[in-house]
Amino acid sequence: MRTLRPAHDVTVPPYKRRILPNGARLVIVPRREVPLVSFCAILSGGARCDPAGRSGLSALAAGLLATGAGGRNAFEFADAIERIGGSFNAATTSDHVVVTGQFLSQHQERMLELLADALLAPRWSRPELEKLRARQIELIKAAKDSDPAELLATYGRVFLFRGHPYGKPVMGSEDSLESISIEDVSRCYRSHFGGDRLALIFAGDVNVEWLTRAAEAAFGGWRRAAVRLPSLARPRQIRRRRVLLIDRPGAAQSCFWIGGLGVDKHYRRRAALDLVNMLFGGRFTSLLNSALRIRSGLSYEAASSFTRGAARAEFAIRSLAQTEHTARALDLALLTLSRLKSDGVSRDMLESARTYALGQYPLSLETAADWAFAFGEMEAYGLAPEYIAGYGAALRGVRLEDTRRVIAEAFPDPGRTVVVVIGDAAKVRASLVRYGPVSEVPLARPGFEATSRGAARLRRKRRPA
Amino acid sequence: MKRVAPRVSRTLSGDAHAGSRSLASTARDRAAVRETTLSNGLKVIVWPSAAIPSVVLNNWVRAGSRNETRGLTGLAHFFEHMMFNGTARFGPGEFDRLMEARGAASNAFTTDDVTVYQDWFPRESLELVFRLEADRIANLSFVPDVVECERRVVRSERRLCVDDNHAGLLSERVQAAAFIAHPYRFPTIGLPSDIGAWRLADLRRFFRTYYAPGNQTFALAGDLEPERAFELARRYLAPIARREPPPAVRVREPEQVGERRVVLRRKGRTPLLQYAYKAFAAGDPRGPALRLLLAMLVEGDASRLHRLLVEDLKLAVEVVGDWHDGFDPGLLWLHLTLPEGADPFAVRAALDRELERVVERGVTRAELERAKSLAAAAHFRQLATIDGKAHLLGEYEVMRGGWHALFDAPARYEALTRAEVQAAARAVLDPRRRTVGTLIPTEPGRPA
Repeated sequence: MRTLRPAHDVTVPPYKRRILPNGARLVIVPRREVPLVSFCAILSGGARCDPAGRSGLSALAAGLLATGAGGRNAFEFADAIERIGGSFNAATTSDHVVVTGQFLSQHQERMLELLADALLAPRWSRPELEKLRARQIELIKAAKDSDPAELLATYGRVFLFRGHPYGKPVMGSEDSLESISIEDVSRCYRSHFGGDRLALIFAGDVNVEWLTRAAEAAFGGWRRAAVRLPSLARPRQIRRRRVLLIDRPGAAQSCFWIGGLGVDKHYRRRAALDLVNMLFGGRFTSLLNSALRIRSGLSYEAASSFTRGAARAEFAIRSLAQTEHTARALDLALLTLSRLKSDGVSRDMLESARTYALGQYPLSLETAADWAFAFGEMEAYGLAPEYIAGYGAALRGVRLEDTRRVIAEAFPDPGRTVVVVIGDAAKVRASLVRYGPVSEVPLARPGFEATSRGAARLRRKRRPA
Repeated sequence: MKRVAPRVSRTLSGDAHAGSRSLASTARDRAAVRETTLSNGLKVIVWPSAAIPSVVLNNWVRAGSRNETRGLTGLAHFFEHMMFNGTARFGPGEFDRLMEARGAASNAFTTDDVTVYQDWFPRESLELVFRLEADRIANLSFVPDVVECERRVVRSERRLCVDDNHAGLLSERVQAAAFIAHPYRFPTIGLPSDIGAWRLADLRRFFRTYYAPGNQTFALAGDLEPERAFELARRYLAPIARREPPPAVRVREPEQVGERRVVLRRKGRTPLLQYAYKAFAAGDPRGPALRLLLAMLVEGDASRLHRLLVEDLKLAVEVVGDWHDGFDPGLLWLHLTLPEGADPFAVRAALDRELERVVERGVTRAELERAKSLAAAAHFRQLATIDGKAHLLGEYEVMRGGWHALFDAPARYEALTRAEVQAAARAVLDPRRRTVGTLIPTEPGRPA
């Protein structure tokens, strides 16, 4: 019988780390389970660097990396990837541009060539920009017709972080995208893409020696970004609750988002935070899901999460309810948050969450792609490997008093939140004024802002609940 | 789904060819898998894999909307919810409370053919998981208040995925038009009037019939010894009494001899176009060829339809495809999202021309190789996780003639020829055997 390791042990696999002459960080993590190699290239910057009125610029630039690069046009580039079973995705967050992909390991040479072409030699073709931009705009419209809940967080962040870089819609809006030119894209690339902004991770069935040499040769000479990464101000605290109502006439159900200021990536009581959020809205038996789904049947889902960025980003609750029960569901969600703030969690709850988190942790770090992303995240935020290796011990060490501290300092007061509802305004408008001043916009209107042209304000008639 | 997305993904996952993977490792994997069938007919299959100290258990129940009748649609999916809501031994909520307190997460999904229950847990919770899985199969409760509460949850799920969702609504109506006799015409989530009308007696009858132990298959992968799993299965699952197998679904869909059309008008801006062709059953030997055909058409930015309709003609903003590979011949879908103001009829003309070309001229060697590589990578991505391994075991065992076939699939895909792919295109892409759905948006402010 072999010796059993404790289930919660996640051992950081051996890896090789190099800092290249231009400041780029290179990490290689050999994993041999399957003949695949994953990569994760993270560039600091992201949507927070988008100029005013040009939201979505970083995301467009990231999306255009693979639409023609090096000696290949868009079709040739896609074909070269897919012909060898590869994948190539570019995503953008408020803090980063993240390029990830996966290839059969026998093709690692081609993988490196394509990745280097995409990052170092994109073609910036105007027709490709126009196509991608038009598609992005149409996809936003399509989401409004078929899955508006997908847009809740975008409306929510714009409303919550007004005036702060985190309030820029990452994917852009129907009108901001329209105004972006190929010159903007190329300027964004020169300013914010470069070796000093790059962390590059490869994980999987790699030839370590060859890949180290080849990656150093390919990326070590990449110029630096022309602009210094702008510093990020601290987002302002919400003074009093306000409401954004996005009108979707005829909606059978309202979906809603309640957001407040949370914590950043370096928050030191992360383990306690994760456990309390798990209990509040991060698993099936959570307080929120129990209130809104299990006990009342009001909603198919109710959950909460912390987005932790380079600066304090948001804590958010999201759920949905039949149009007629919108206010009842909102009341329950806010009441559940109030109760967490006043009553905290019990010792039994803490133990259950701890066991759950420890039991699920290994499943989140199983594949080479998981490790590529995990190392990428550590590099991007300057976190030590202890962030992963020490997480099990940190979870085991959380005490009840730690939960009380995170509830006090990381979970927002219900009165210091914003409430965002997508629903049939004619039916829900009157019931929302009790939560704070209501701004109203039609869902069909381009843009995610509450205060631009066309927004109407309703007066609060009663004190907040 | 108990928790998240409405539908199980039916894209390319689960199939592939071997690429460069050595025959030795395939043989090793095949030799590691063990199975046993209990005296009551329930089968347990185990794939030991100790890379992480965790286990995944999937219970495949052969009950889907295919087993429903008019007036009682949505029942299979409702059980997917009710199975978490208490038994004679453990009250409502106890299943999740006990599981989570021992580090286990769970979920479930329902398709037209099956309901699959999934548990992800640390290896030391194996016995608890067997105990609770067995308990809910043996002793499920039907408490009226709990049933009413869960009915409301399912209504909310339906509003999210269908009633407030143009793409979901159009798919539901296209599927209903595509079949005139076969229960594949029923939406898995259930029609609104049925969700409101199931009685306790209906629930009891459905449960007794379809949750017979012989109608279920446990597939496990992870850090466990097969013998230990079999011992727990004998202790907890074997005592559940054997029951008659459920009645076979005898209805066969009559041959479709002409195109059917569905047109919806809804407030909004985005026109949608959906094609649903009558295709094969999951066990059909032409299945792998059809899967590669679909990959050539829609998988990736270099795929034929994406290239033509999205990049070159700019008639669509997205083209997605999937094949519903069930026990009986299901549908091959193409879902197109069109730009605001687009004329769906113009898009149809371009799409039809290209599909005709595929049928007449087949696909190129490069397209075939590309599809094989994509499928190989997808296969390895599944093999990289115990979740993927458990899923593949169950899927092949229940839907595709036995788990052994999983290990033969790579060679099967590798050997596929252009002629086989063209033959699949000829058999399936027949305009007389399709249903075309169009959603025409009306102005957001105006009544639909």
